[in-house]
Amino acid sequence: MASPVIEFYGVTKVYHRAFGGQDVAALVDVSFEVFPGEVCAFLGPNGAGKTTSISILMGFVFEDQGNVRVFGYEPGDVRAKKQIGFVPENFAFYKHLTARRLLEFHRALAGPTPGGNGPAISELLVRVKLDEFRKLRIGKYSRGMVQRLGIAQALLDNPQLLILDEPTSGLDPAGRKEVRELIQSLKAAGKSIFLSSHILSEVEQICDRVIIIDHGRLVRAGLLEELRGQTSQVELVVDELPETLEAELRERGATIILGPNSVHVTAPAAQKREIAEALWTAGCDVVSMNPQKTSLEDLFLKLLKPSGETP
Amino acid sequence: MRVRTIAWNTFGSLLHNRLLLLILVLFVSWILLMMTPLYMLRKEATLANAQRMESEVLTLVSLVMGALSGFGSLLAAWCTADAVAGEMKSGTILAVMARPVRRWEFLVGKFAGVQILLAFYVVGMLGLSHLFARLGGQHIQAPAWELLVYPMVRYAMYSAVALLLVTFLHQAVSLAVVWFMAILIPMVVPSGRPHLVPTLILKPLYYVLPSTGLLSESRFLAITESSLHRTSLLQHTITLAYGLDYALVVLLLALWSFRRKSLTRD
Repeated sequence: MASPVIEFYGVTKVYHRAFGGQDVAALVDVSFEVFPGEVCAFLGPNGAGKTTSISILMGFVFEDQGNVRVFGYEPGDVRAKKQIGFVPENFAFYKHLTARRLLEFHRALAGPTPGGNGPAISELLVRVKLDEFRKLRIGKYSRGMVQRLGIAQALLDNPQLLILDEPTSGLDPAGRKEVRELIQSLKAAGKSIFLSSHILSEVEQICDRVIIIDHGRLVRAGLLEELRGQTSQVELVVDELPETLEAELRERGATIILGPNSVHVTAPAAQKREIAEALWTAGCDVVSMNPQKTSLEDLFLKLLKPSGETP
Repeated sequence: MRVRTIAWNTFGSLLHNRLLLLILVLFVSWILLMMTPLYMLRKEATLANAQRMESEVLTLVSLVMGALSGFGSLLAAWCTADAVAGEMKSGTILAVMARPVRRWEFLVGKFAGVQILLAFYVVGMLGLSHLFARLGGQHIQAPAWELLVYPMVRYAMYSAVALLLVTFLHQAVSLAVVWFMAILIPMVVPSGRPHLVPTLILKPLYYVLPSTGLLSESRFLAITESSLHRTSLLQHTITLAYGLDYALVVLLLALWSFRRKSLTRD
């Protein structure tokens, strides 16, 4: 297996408040990895420690304990930063500049990069649909336009790793769809993407790996398919269901949804053999039997209990 | 290359700073107001006692230029503190530092950008000095380089001090400290007169605080007699080297202080 592009091991970060204020543990012994070519979703409720983790990855703040490497370098090392495109949460720009001038400024800062000079600025502005506003000062941009400009500057120098902190915040549904498609195209091009987002249904469509944190602690990390597959339910689809058997299955804890042409029986996985045999014995045609996959949203809500306790 | 890019961007940002533009408008208005009595005095001088009028014109020129010069030091401190703290407050620093920019490059770029603005200020100030002198019917005899280089070195010292302070203090506190320092500097210079403050405190302060009085261009802003003859090249070299050395040491301290600073607003 290729070496990880992001190594984040045992990281603890405590914010010390001045004048005797209470210290806040933003991260406690958090560990995860991101591998080349992966889209990794970094999830957690507000205040979970997502932005702190991203700030540590970018070298904006420093961990108190732990070991962090990006492309094998310390965070903030210019050799690592040359390969990163970054969109911070609530992106802020120099309001007096135009989009073109800002991208020229960023290109000048980037200098020559390992991935080549990347797309032309005019091409990027077309890609994020800002070409018609290229002469407008950024101070007059809407939130969504600023966010799209943020994405454009992140793509400026053909980065190998994109770190996106809430990239779709401020975007309308069409804009969010465009970002999703953009991420998919970048993934297809072999880029690694590390993104934090609140919109789980969108993340679910594009990510390979999921990291969930809460209250500064790692709750779960792994491949999305593995996490979704960790279920105790199985779904059987049959052509019909006799009433006597329906009552019996409900007693066993199954959920039954009657459709026009089929019946969906969701039952505990431990009883799948008995239920299947009961259905066959009753003369039902079992069309399919599949382990029921948990949606990312369900998984997220299940893992993050309202009390704040982590399983 | 990156330092230059950040420096010119800082200069551009400062030119779009509304507070700075407001101060500039107020200053231009004030200067125009000061020019009116100069015109009148000049006319009166030709009619009656020319020598007395000339002295009054020179006093006025000195007053205006002294104020401009003093303001320049505070302008240097304010612009530097704002250039760094403003970026951190607005969050624009994150996009810049996500690029392959080293922390020292960012800070030196900010410092250089402020110095570009101050260079324009000094040139403007020199132009005004000549204009006022001309209105008073006189010529400034000091060489232009003295009136350009000395204030630049002094402003570099104030900028460096503000830069150091803003790496660990709030912007407003940093400016208050610089302001207090500017007031304190003439008080700690040994003068032979009795001081209210004990020598035990005065002496360390004298060595720690910059001797900006040495670098005041008003020493050379003589109109009726040239100060050039009284200041040797060696004296110029020593004085300027002192100022540059002070600015460099404080700048290095600022770079050291900034290397582990949190760049987020948390």
